[in-house]
Amino acid sequence: MLLNTQQQSMTADLPESQPVLSVEGVSKKFCRDLKRSLFYGVQDIAADLTGGRRHSDRLRSREFWALQAVSFQLHRGQAVGLVGSNGAGKSTLLRIISGLIKPDTGKVRIRGRLAPLIALGAGFNPILTGRENIFANMSILGLSTRQIKQCFQEVVEFAEIESAIDAPVQTYSSGMAARLGFACAIYTEPEILLIDEVLAVGDARFKAKCYRRLYELRQKGVAFILVNHNSQAILNICDTALYLSGGSLVAQGDVNQVIDRYESDLFLTGTERAENRLTFPAKSPQESTGMDIRALFFRDAQGESTQTLLTGEPLSFCLSCESHNSHNGVTFDIRIVKIGGEDSVGNILTIRGQNDNAFFQVTPGLSELRLNFPYLGLAPGNYSAQVRLRKDSIYTFDMVESFRFTVLADRDVNKCQFYQPRSWSLVTETQPMLES
Amino acid sequence: MPPEIVHTPDSLLRRPRFLFWTMWQDLLAARELAWRLMVRDISAQYRQALLGIAWAFIPPIATAIGFTLAKDANVFTVGETAIPYPAYVMFNMTLWQTFADAATGPVQAVMQAKPMLARVNFPREAIVLAKLGEVGFNFLIKLILIIGLFLYFRVPLSWTVILAPVALIHLILLGTLVGVLLAPIGVLYQDVFKGLNMIMGFWLFLTPVIYPVPTQGVFGALVAWNPVTPLLVTIRELATTGVLTNAVGFWVVSLCTFVGLLLTWIGFRIAMPYVVERVTS
Repeated sequence: MLLNTQQQSMTADLPESQPVLSVEGVSKKFCRDLKRSLFYGVQDIAADLTGGRRHSDRLRSREFWALQAVSFQLHRGQAVGLVGSNGAGKSTLLRIISGLIKPDTGKVRIRGRLAPLIALGAGFNPILTGRENIFANMSILGLSTRQIKQCFQEVVEFAEIESAIDAPVQTYSSGMAARLGFACAIYTEPEILLIDEVLAVGDARFKAKCYRRLYELRQKGVAFILVNHNSQAILNICDTALYLSGGSLVAQGDVNQVIDRYESDLFLTGTERAENRLTFPAKSPQESTGMDIRALFFRDAQGESTQTLLTGEPLSFCLSCESHNSHNGVTFDIRIVKIGGEDSVGNILTIRGQNDNAFFQVTPGLSELRLNFPYLGLAPGNYSAQVRLRKDSIYTFDMVESFRFTVLADRDVNKCQFYQPRSWSLVTETQPMLES
Repeated sequence: MPPEIVHTPDSLLRRPRFLFWTMWQDLLAARELAWRLMVRDISAQYRQALLGIAWAFIPPIATAIGFTLAKDANVFTVGETAIPYPAYVMFNMTLWQTFADAATGPVQAVMQAKPMLARVNFPREAIVLAKLGEVGFNFLIKLILIIGLFLYFRVPLSWTVILAPVALIHLILLGTLVGVLLAPIGVLYQDVFKGLNMIMGFWLFLTPVIYPVPTQGVFGALVAWNPVTPLLVTIRELATTGVLTNAVGFWVVSLCTFVGLLLTWIGFRIAMPYVVERVTS
């Protein structure tokens, strides 16, 4: 027993002392000209085979840095989100970490088994059955036959394909194949997981299941790097984030700050973000799709703009928009997810203007659409909302990926998932209920 | 704590001890995976074919019939063969096909595994091993045919036939040497696979498969210098007459094959990351 506790305290100390993954000044160069790229490949092989220096730190003609001097560390049980626009070098970084390609400068140190969820279903053969493919795929991912047999049943259950396990994979729906691929990868019991935008598979229910599984793994001390275009997913799972732009690491640290920076670079140039409030600069008519979101904020019961959101109090969600023409049938959708916490999977609240038949006629200039809540039902916590400004439920004028806000409480809402508006009363019964 | 893995830009040749250690480790790790891949490939190969496993027999039979008919019609003349000509051609053709498969197999297998190579870091040796297993499997299938043919023509066997598998392994290794040498470049340039198929056709012509070993002229010299000749002839002699005519040649080629294969393997390991980098960037 004593030994056991000592071991535990050792692992508890580990995060400070030894990262499971450390990336030290890693760079990688690529060439977009195919013929030249192939030739450079042969050149590199020849240089390496003769043991000569590759001069890998210098660019040859028509090469560019796909990654430049990237450094970071990953500790046990830590989840890092990797964000960046297309071509920022995210996948290249993951491929260097997984040892598929060599860095041109720098070093990657790995302590632990690493599982890349970069390729789901690597080596799936469509003619073979699901059962045979599980064995082939998990072998490729590095498991022995004995280990595969042990977790086989769990994989099948997780993928929910019990009935089709002996049918050829080519008869599977794309969702089934993707689920099988994900299940195979996730049951390899890694210490480090690299997840490259693969959580977009399957339906919402399966996605939620995947996130739950990731959460469990993280509790067990698995560290992971998550690449996802959906910043809500990253906010949900990760505590720190890395932001790659043009191959360089431009920001790293607390997930909220990094995502803020990424989003402001991505589509919200000139955005001002204050507590529970977001404002955007005006767009020129050329850039505009007809109507633009200019601000997202809240108003209290008196109609005054407020930055304090309290559970159970009246509140209005306000969307200020600028229109260049007159439009009929204007409405907006809002989808709210909770950030952080173990059960933070999926949407908490979705409100569609079209469902409530809330269509408005908007004249050119500034207008404000208000969504009034008699009581704010959300429990205290951090939330992220996706807002779409729409016309007739088909056309989207403008959208905001992630408007983050915090809800507080000045009343006791312990052990409550949401606020239930209520009133109490006492009624004297003239005719007892039991008798009726 | 598991051992630390470090990825650096430096050449593996600068760390020879580490290189050999990882080669050994990966070879061990690759066995099971290779088995899985082999089972996968073989079952997939015959599952979508009506004739199934018969496809292993049909090509050598067709070739043997073709050459036998041609010879009977005196389209070409060959010298005396120690065993009846149809059996002679069929046996040689099977050996040659096994060699050719071992040579083209690794190139083909690595090309086919491109998507897998680009995404998962598994021991690359497994692809080659799986292909060799398939080559062996195909040989065993054809062996049934040869046994039937030998029984039909009452070809006498020598006791040395039990040594023939050893020599056969040397032949397969020579083929593997060619295949592994070309595989990395073959992924980069399609020319390699196309060229290899053409060369194999020419090479067959220079190997005593449909004719006995010639002794004279430029052609005789070319055939004698062909490294496949001593291996193939030795296997045939071990199986049938038991009298070896070129034991020295056999051992020279075998030793060169062993050393060459080890060097090629090192080259393959070093080259693969660069290849993966170029095919998917």
